[in-house]
Amino acid sequence: MAGTIRAQYPATIRPVRINCTGRVTPSLLMRAIGKGADGVIVAG
Amino acid sequence: MLQAARTTGVNLYTYSEVEDISGFVGNFNVTIRKRARYVTNECNGCGACIDPCPVYGYDEFNEGMNPRKAIYVSFAQAVPAIAQIDMNQCIKCGLCQKACELDAINFDQHDELVTLKVGSVLVATGWDEYEPETGYLGYNIYPNVITELKLERILAPNGPTLGHLFRPSDGKIPKRVLFIQCVGSRDLNKNTYCSSGVCCMIAIKNSKLIKQHYPDTQIDVAYMDIRAAGKDYEEYFTASRKEGIRYIRTNISKLKEDSETHNIKVNIQNTLRESLGMKELEYDLVVLSAAMVPTKGNDKLQKILKLETSQDGFFKEFHSRLNPIDTKIPGIVLAGASQGPKSIAESIVQGRAAASSLSRLMGKEIYRIKLIRATVDKEKCAKCGLCELNCPYDAIQLMDDGAEVNEILCRGCGSCLANCPSEAITLRYYREPQYEKQIDAILEEL
Repeated sequence: MAGTIRAQYPATIRPVRINCTGRVTPSLLMRAIGKGADGVIVAG
Repeated sequence: MLQAARTTGVNLYTYSEVEDISGFVGNFNVTIRKRARYVTNECNGCGACIDPCPVYGYDEFNEGMNPRKAIYVSFAQAVPAIAQIDMNQCIKCGLCQKACELDAINFDQHDELVTLKVGSVLVATGWDEYEPETGYLGYNIYPNVITELKLERILAPNGPTLGHLFRPSDGKIPKRVLFIQCVGSRDLNKNTYCSSGVCCMIAIKNSKLIKQHYPDTQIDVAYMDIRAAGKDYEEYFTASRKEGIRYIRTNISKLKEDSETHNIKVNIQNTLRESLGMKELEYDLVVLSAAMVPTKGNDKLQKILKLETSQDGFFKEFHSRLNPIDTKIPGIVLAGASQGPKSIAESIVQGRAAASSLSRLMGKEIYRIKLIRATVDKEKCAKCGLCELNCPYDAIQLMDDGAEVNEILCRGCGSCLANCPSEAITLRYYREPQYEKQIDAILEEL
C-alpha cells in the first residue's frame, strides 16, 4: 500500500504479507517482538 | 423486456422479489417471492376490468400525477401485460370479476415462493431518484418546484397529459423554466459523488424537448459544471446553447414563491460574470435535477447476497478501475446503476460485459479454485464453533465429527484458524511455521 501510493517509509520496516488481517494470530505478533522487533503494525 | 420474455430459456419473474440466496458459484439456491397480483396468468391485458372499478388511486408510474383504478396495468409496456390489484385500495366489490371474460381475477391469490437452482447471479437493480428533503429549494412546499423524473413523465407521450407540458399549480404552460443541477449530488452534506453527468444530459435533453414544442419558452439551467463527457455529448450541449437555452454557472441557495401567481423567484449570481451582481429572476416552473441514489431495496439485497457496498451505497465491484463488473464473490456480477450512477450507454456496456463474464464462467465444465483454503484436522477439533462464527464467507460449518470447510466458498483469509483455540485449522501454503520462519529471517538481518 505504501508502495502503490509512493509513500516513503523507513528502511528498517520489514513487511510480512498475510492473506487477511484476520489471519494474524497473537503468537505471530509475540514471536516478532520476541525476536527483537521494536513494534508490530497490523495494517489492512 | 418484451424480447427477453419471448426468448426461450429466459424465465421472467416480474412483480417479484428475491427473498434469499444461499450456496456458491455454480450452485446457488434462490428463493423468489412472486407477489400476488390477484389476477391469474389467464389475463390477456384487455383492460375490461379497469373501467367498472369504482376505486381510484395514484398512478405510481406517472409519479402520482394522474389517477389510476385499484385494478390496473402498471404501465403501457408492462411485461407481461397482466392487470394487478392494489389490495390496500380494493374494496372487493367484485365488479372486475364480472367484467372479466377469462375469469382471471382471483381475490384469494397469495404470495408464492419459488425456489430455483442457478449457477450465477447478475445484479442489475438500477437506481432511484434522490428525494430532496421537504423545504430544500422549495421542494414539497411550492407546487411549481418539481424533480427531473416528474418532468420526464410530464413530457412523455404516455404521461399524465400525453406529453403536453404543464405546471402543477394551475395546469398552464410555463413560459419561463429553470433547471437546477446537482440537487443532492456533489454536495458534502448529501451525496458527495457526481451522478456521472446523467442529470446534466437529462436536463439538456428535456430543455431541448421543451424548446422544440414551445420555441418561445425561456429556459435557464443553473449549473455547477456541465459534465457532458461522452461521445456526441458535448455537441449535444453546444446545440442546445445554439437553440437559445441559457446556462448560468451559479449556486442557488434559496427560492421564494409569489403567493398569488405561484411563480418562483430566485436570486441568481452568475459566478462567471460577477460584475453583473445578484439578480432576482422569476420563473413559472423550477425543475430540480436530483441525484441518482441506490434503490431502496439495496440494503436488503446486500444482506442476502453478502455483497459489499461502496461509501456511496452502491454495490462494490471487484476493483473500481480494473474490474468494475465482477464482485468479490465468484459467480455474482454487477451491471448498470447497481454498481454506480451511469448513463444508458454505459449500462449497456456493463450489462453485456457482465453477461460475457458469466458465460466465460458458466461455459466451462469445471470451476478451478486456488488451493489456498483452510483445512481442518478433525482429530484436534474441539467442536467449539468459533470458526463458524468468525467466517466472513459462511464457508465453515460445524458437523458432528468436527468443523468442515466448503472449499468453494472458502476464500483463504484465515480468520478461522486465528480464532481456533485448539489449533486444528491450517491454511494451505500459509501455515504457521512458514510465517514463523519468515519473521525469524527478516528479523535476523536487523
